Amino acid sequence: MTDGDYRHLYVVMEQEEGKLVPVSLEMLCEARRLMDDFNIKYSSNEKVVALLLGDGVKAISKDLIEHGADVVVLADNPELRYVRNTVYTKLIAQIVTDQDVAAKVESVDVGNFKKPRYMFFAADSVGRHISSTVLAELDSGLASDINKLVIEDLPLTHQIKTAGKPLIYEKTLEMYRPDFSGFLWTTILCLDNRNPAIERDYHPQACSIIPGVFETKQADHTRTGKVIEYSPKFDQKDLLVKILDRKIMKSEVDFDACKTIVSFGRGIKESPEENVKLIEQLASELDAEIGISLPLSKKPISINQTIDSKYFIADRVIGSSGRKVSPKLYIAVGISGAIQHLTGMKDSEFVLAINPDENSPIKDECDMFIKGKMEDVLPLLIENLKTQKKVVQA
Amino acid sequence: MTPLNIAVIVKLEPDFSEGNVSYNPDGTLNRAETKNILGPHSALAASAAFYSKVRYGAHISIGTMGPPNADLILQSAQQISDADETFLFSDRIFAGADTLGTAELLKTGILKMQGKMDIVFSGHRASDGETGQVGPQTAWKLGFTFLGNVIDYEVDVEKRTVRAKRSVRLQGFYDIIEEVEAPLPVFIAIDPSYKPVFNTASQRLACEKYKKEANDRAQNFKQYLKVFNAEQLGSDPKLIGLAGSPTIVFKVEKIPKGKAGRQAEVIDGSSKEEMVRVVARLRQALSTMVIK
Repeated sequence: MTDGDYRHLYVVMEQEEGKLVPVSLEMLCEARRLMDDFNIKYSSNEKVVALLLGDGVKAISKDLIEHGADVVVLADNPELRYVRNTVYTKLIAQIVTDQDVAAKVESVDVGNFKKPRYMFFAADSVGRHISSTVLAELDSGLASDINKLVIEDLPLTHQIKTAGKPLIYEKTLEMYRPDFSGFLWTTILCLDNRNPAIERDYHPQACSIIPGVFETKQADHTRTGKVIEYSPKFDQKDLLVKILDRKIMKSEVDFDACKTIVSFGRGIKESPEENVKLIEQLASELDAEIGISLPLSKKPISINQTIDSKYFIADRVIGSSGRKVSPKLYIAVGISGAIQHLTGMKDSEFVLAINPDENSPIKDECDMFIKGKMEDVLPLLIENLKTQKKVVQA
Repeated sequence: MTPLNIAVIVKLEPDFSEGNVSYNPDGTLNRAETKNILGPHSALAASAAFYSKVRYGAHISIGTMGPPNADLILQSAQQISDADETFLFSDRIFAGADTLGTAELLKTGILKMQGKMDIVFSGHRASDGETGQVGPQTAWKLGFTFLGNVIDYEVDVEKRTVRAKRSVRLQGFYDIIEEVEAPLPVFIAIDPSYKPVFNTASQRLACEKYKKEANDRAQNFKQYLKVFNAEQLGSDPKLIGLAGSPTIVFKVEKIPKGKAGRQAEVIDGSSKEEMVRVVARLRQALSTMVIK
């Protein structure tokens, strides 16, 4: 392997009807930060390449450059208006392995370009599927739902990868993934097999990135970059998959319409039915929408069909795997505050938490912390809300 | 010949239901104390296959990669789907595979099943790994059109096409329900919100008939079970297990507590007087005008 084989960080953009999905710029800004550090550290000049596929999306290219892309590879074609997995996967795989594109990315011949060094996708219902199939096509590794990235030279001894010998893996992307509990961070690496018995190159090192975790920086209007127009060639067979209809659905749970959100978590478990009733009363007093933490959407607790299907659903999940909200008042009841949940609610204006455990992480993300069990606290709170309302009305 | 030939891939997962799941004091899953079951997303995939059996008539094969005791989840999945055959792919060298290595193995396994598949079903994602990558990667390796987040589907048996509704969620946008038509064969990953409905009397009769058959079959599930190890599958050892897995887990650590975002005032939850103050503060928070 020479340094020319694998170069650059390719980032797959997402747009809907010509409008960028916010995670696209979040990924680009993080890509810029990483590659700026990379180029200083390794005295190199590798690029951030944004892949923009769609129909009538050329105008977005400028926005991508101003947010950190050195190069935009643009495939603009009516067949690309909506994402069809096979069409998109083949096209992305073609572009990122295209030597002519790579030569234009850098204007200098760096040799035998094979594949990108790194690749980013969005961890949403489009990016998750596309990243999986693109990496299956490119035959390399993919880490999903990442919220922290570091590039390092790592000394490693691994039974399979290095046959037990100590080796240095240069320019390795450490991909941090919060696990389902939200309390553990797993670092995933994509490594070539350097064990002679099973030798194999695994590039790009790729991941999908959780929407909402990286910050979108202000556009830098002075930045310039290159736009490479790519004419896609389609396999007619793939175009037999037809999008017949698309409807934008408003979720039945409309968090944006409420000033207050009351959320609950596994803390309801001691008397779930009674606790859900108390939460309903509290929400009704405050004219609030009701949210839940991610673990409850996996239905670990069953009350009855009506309550389960009303509350323990993905639409109500607040957090990085669900909705991001910023109400005036956020009340977290029986939620310990895993990082995924905090990501979804930390922009709320005022946060009240009710929890028996003062060491729960939610305490560091709230303005008022009522120490106590919800069974005891909620009735008092509801009663007071009622009496104070009467006073106001009188 | 049945009109449709269907495969379902399922997974053994920890049981996250309250009372069965066990957490360590630090909030992480206690794997040793937690039972394993047919994953809930896998169960939905099996019920999606059952829908085809009732509506169109289908030969159903169910496969899983797992330890020897994963045969019990094949029994559960057979009970749901009335599967005609079940397949357990079990070998120590499969262990530790990442999604690419797993997809390669499942592809090889599906090719071992009877006949050419029209539809392969999988769940949305596993409840423990949660990557959701194995389905689409298996689809890609099979060369099938991948349809993910499918909430409803119908097959046109004559035209050999499927019509599916998919739920697409994008941050910052509302959910989109997309209706798509694709020629068979397809790979369908079933959305968690999928719910099969049998509308007509004849469908409900067929449903009853196959449910009864499913019960009988599941009671004698070993009769329908085939077990394959790596050699019997003829899988390339370089492409499966740890050797066929580009990724490794480098380290696992507790997520450090971030800097406190806010300074909380701690209130004694048993004090009625304090609660008066809390309510006043909430009212204030709701009434303040904030200029953004």
